[in-house]
Amino acid sequence: MVQLVGSLRKELADSVSDCNVLVVGAGGIGCELLKNLVLTGFKNIEVIDLDTIDVSNLNRQFLFQKKHVGKSKAQVAKESVLQFCPTANIKAYHDSIMNPDYNVEFFRNFMLVMNALDNRAARNHVNRMCLAADIPLIESGTAGYLGQVTVIKKGLTECYECQPKPTQKTFPGCTIRNTPSEPIHCIVWAKYLFNQLFGEEDADQEVSPDTADPELSWNPADTEARATASDQDGDIKRVSTKDWARSTGYDSVKLFNKVLFKDDIQYLLTMDKLWKKRKAPLPLDWLELQKLGTILEVTGTGLKDQHVLGVAGYSQLFSRSVETLRSMLADKGDGAELVWDKDDPAAMDFVTAAANLRMHIFSMNMKSRFDIKSMAGNIIPAIATTNAVIAGLIVLEALKILSGDVEQCRTIFLNKQPNPRKKLLVPCALDPPSANCYVCASKPEVTVKLNVNKTLVLALQDKILKEKFGMVAPDVQIEDGKGTILISSEEGETEANNSKFLSDFGIRNGSRLQVDDFLQDYTLLVNVIHCEELEKDVEFEVVGDAPDKAPTPPSSQEEQKNFANGNKDSAEPSTSSNAPAEQDDVLIVDSDEEPSSSTMDVSTESGGLKRKLHDAETGEASAKRQRLDQATADDDDDIIALD
Amino acid sequence: MIDMIEKEDSIISEEEAAQYDRQIRLWGLDAQKRLRGSRVLLVGLRGLGAEVAKNLILAGVKGLTLLDHEQVTEESCRAQFLIPVSAQGQNRAQASLERAQYLNPMVAVKADTDRVEEKPDEFFLQFDAVCLTGCSRDLMIRVDQLCSQNNIKVFCGDVFGYHGYMFSDLGLEHNYVEEKPKAVKPKTEESNEHDGPEAKKPKVDPSETTMIKKVNVDFCCLKDALEVDWTSEKAKSSLKRTPVDYFLLHVLLKFRTDKGRDPNPESFAEDSTLLRQIRDDVLEAMTLSSELLPHDFVSYCFSEMAPVCAVVGGVLGQEVVKALSQRDAPHRNFFFFDGMKGSGVVDYFGPN
Repeated sequence: MVQLVGSLRKELADSVSDCNVLVVGAGGIGCELLKNLVLTGFKNIEVIDLDTIDVSNLNRQFLFQKKHVGKSKAQVAKESVLQFCPTANIKAYHDSIMNPDYNVEFFRNFMLVMNALDNRAARNHVNRMCLAADIPLIESGTAGYLGQVTVIKKGLTECYECQPKPTQKTFPGCTIRNTPSEPIHCIVWAKYLFNQLFGEEDADQEVSPDTADPELSWNPADTEARATASDQDGDIKRVSTKDWARSTGYDSVKLFNKVLFKDDIQYLLTMDKLWKKRKAPLPLDWLELQKLGTILEVTGTGLKDQHVLGVAGYSQLFSRSVETLRSMLADKGDGAELVWDKDDPAAMDFVTAAANLRMHIFSMNMKSRFDIKSMAGNIIPAIATTNAVIAGLIVLEALKILSGDVEQCRTIFLNKQPNPRKKLLVPCALDPPSANCYVCASKPEVTVKLNVNKTLVLALQDKILKEKFGMVAPDVQIEDGKGTILISSEEGETEANNSKFLSDFGIRNGSRLQVDDFLQDYTLLVNVIHCEELEKDVEFEVVGDAPDKAPTPPSSQEEQKNFANGNKDSAEPSTSSNAPAEQDDVLIVDSDEEPSSSTMDVSTESGGLKRKLHDAETGEASAKRQRLDQATADDDDDIIALD
Repeated sequence: MIDMIEKEDSIISEEEAAQYDRQIRLWGLDAQKRLRGSRVLLVGLRGLGAEVAKNLILAGVKGLTLLDHEQVTEESCRAQFLIPVSAQGQNRAQASLERAQYLNPMVAVKADTDRVEEKPDEFFLQFDAVCLTGCSRDLMIRVDQLCSQNNIKVFCGDVFGYHGYMFSDLGLEHNYVEEKPKAVKPKTEESNEHDGPEAKKPKVDPSETTMIKKVNVDFCCLKDALEVDWTSEKAKSSLKRTPVDYFLLHVLLKFRTDKGRDPNPESFAEDSTLLRQIRDDVLEAMTLSSELLPHDFVSYCFSEMAPVCAVVGGVLGQEVVKALSQRDAPHRNFFFFDGMKGSGVVDYFGPN
């Protein structure tokens, strides 16, 4: 006779109240998840989040109120939950999960880990920690109306990194600097400009015309020669944009005329090959613009931010914001830098103005501050209900795991509209681990193409091992028979190596590097292929990766299960210091077209993970596993990462 | 009932703009304004009711009335996150009020402790949408009939263990808009060999969108939706594609009518027996086999599971938001969630 405690069988109810679980993130999904966990009877919960509460969180992170703005999310979430469940035993950490304190031992305390994150780096990291500790992980993400939940269990399912995820969209330098054709190009340019003038100058974020544009010359040798020439000249006129600007006292008229919107544009016009098939840009003159008069007032019933000013209005906004930023910079003292933050009014005004002026010059319709903020700040729209559904599904998966029914676990997609099989929530079988996974395979190995004479040790560490391969504190040994240590995770030990090239250490074509991240208990063997002919702007290539540029839209035939990861994955400088991560995560969007008949649901009567998927209704078996149709629809425009 | 299209106040405050920013970026300012002008009645403050209340208050409706005549018991403290543990013996709506209001001070939240059965017709007419949870079949049918005649949107929902459903009746003619990206026309031009590498073509801004107005007809009343005739051959042949939860719903509503309560874990044995009996009776009356609901169905429909309340409450909440804001296609007309399988299905039941 079944004995129930509430809705649950007694044995399950007991497991639930006895076990320890970890919730990583206390934002949109996290708040809903904590509530569901305690109401289901979970008693021992630890929650971690590095972020503080912002007013824009309050439309969905319901454990927080206006009076809590600025406080720790994990802490306030705990206090709110205790209000309706005082017997819950909750530990809150205002900290980053990537802090080495949270080592494999820490993770082993838990029966189950549930992610409620919004960025890929943390997801990769938790993935590895859970593999190392052999603890089941429930992964999830939401964006707008869409959401997704899945379960990761070492040896049984794919890990988070088994399937390559599309990297954030980047744009070639010449598009940003010479031939923008979409508003986003102008917005990226404006953010680069911000950094050149007020922030950390970055060689990858040049704003001046690019004379090494491949389009200017058919002859690759020609382009190469020009590129070398401009490197030596320091790209057009100035060595340091910031120094030049400082020398003019950040005179906005000079900035406007001499540099940004007039002289540089006139220079671009001399590169006539670019304009044979494109509309040429029209330079702006400051004085002429002022004659048009100011239209800064906004009337009407819309949001102030949603109005589009005229070009004269944006030139005024440009001037005002430059002045404000100049004085902010001066206040910070010598050698100071500003970090761009979408919530800083002057920084946002600056990008709005600069981007719009450039859009106007290149014959694009200008955009409102509201829209520019979305694109520049990588804002992902979010609502309470999507998070509520996903967090409910997470707990249901958790119950299956605790019951010992992990083969019943599924990946579940939440769609905006039902598919032709009438499903709004679509469960799909979990995939087994990928044999070639560079994380969870037994002896993970990758091959990387790069130029050993031009790649710095620091770049290897930061751009390849940390950014691309998700390590937090890598240690690198060269397999040269001597066990030469190239990089040590101990601070200061190998700092002298950072500015040297790989070839300086004898690394050449065919060299192998053993890379360890001891925190993640992860060892990766890296095979080096020396290559002198990488694409422009590309520093390295992982062999076997899909091309890095725009993600390939999956066809109905492709299996792509994706957790795209929100704005924090852009390589650009982070926004606010406490938490650049803005929103809950994005996932793949349903195609606008009717999914093919390959859309599969999962019959739960037949168990096991590795089996032919059955269409429970029509009884057809599918020969190969097929996934729910998931083309990236145009909604992805919300999720633009800026390089 | 005033036509909802022109209801909204025109100005959105700075405070609202800041708080609602992330949802305005999703459904637009017009939708937010319509929500802001809408009054909703929510009946029943158990687990599902609390979820719906949270979702509607966060969305920013003008007013939400919480109607529930029941008292807080020890069990309801565990079931629901709006009621403080100290509230035992108080009225459930009353006890939920404070925490509900804290969710969003810009919404006017009220508690009403009367029995919904005793409310006169006029009571319902002051709302733009009515959401019924934990109500008897007869009451739902009556309120649905009354409201849809007066252009009030009606929603029903319940959670029974791992299972849950929602029903909507948006009337005979529900208008809404959808936003679609502007179509990008591909340009094909021959590339001129002499011009070197093919130049990029100017593109249409991919982030520009356009609104398409749609009109939807054909929401039937709850009575018709529940009284589908299964005797015909055609109906029986469509059974394979019919969510079994539809029949489970009939069984559970009958239990509720007969016993005046839902299945209780404390009387698991007797209630299970009764549920199976009702299943047999209900399916027989529909001329269907009782095999449609397997023997063990009883194990999974006791009590309200919190995560199932979250899922159903999320879908139901969003349907109310869509209907009030008149944006995006509504689900028509049932949503069934099976928490064991993780499947959520939208299906239409009613006259053809």
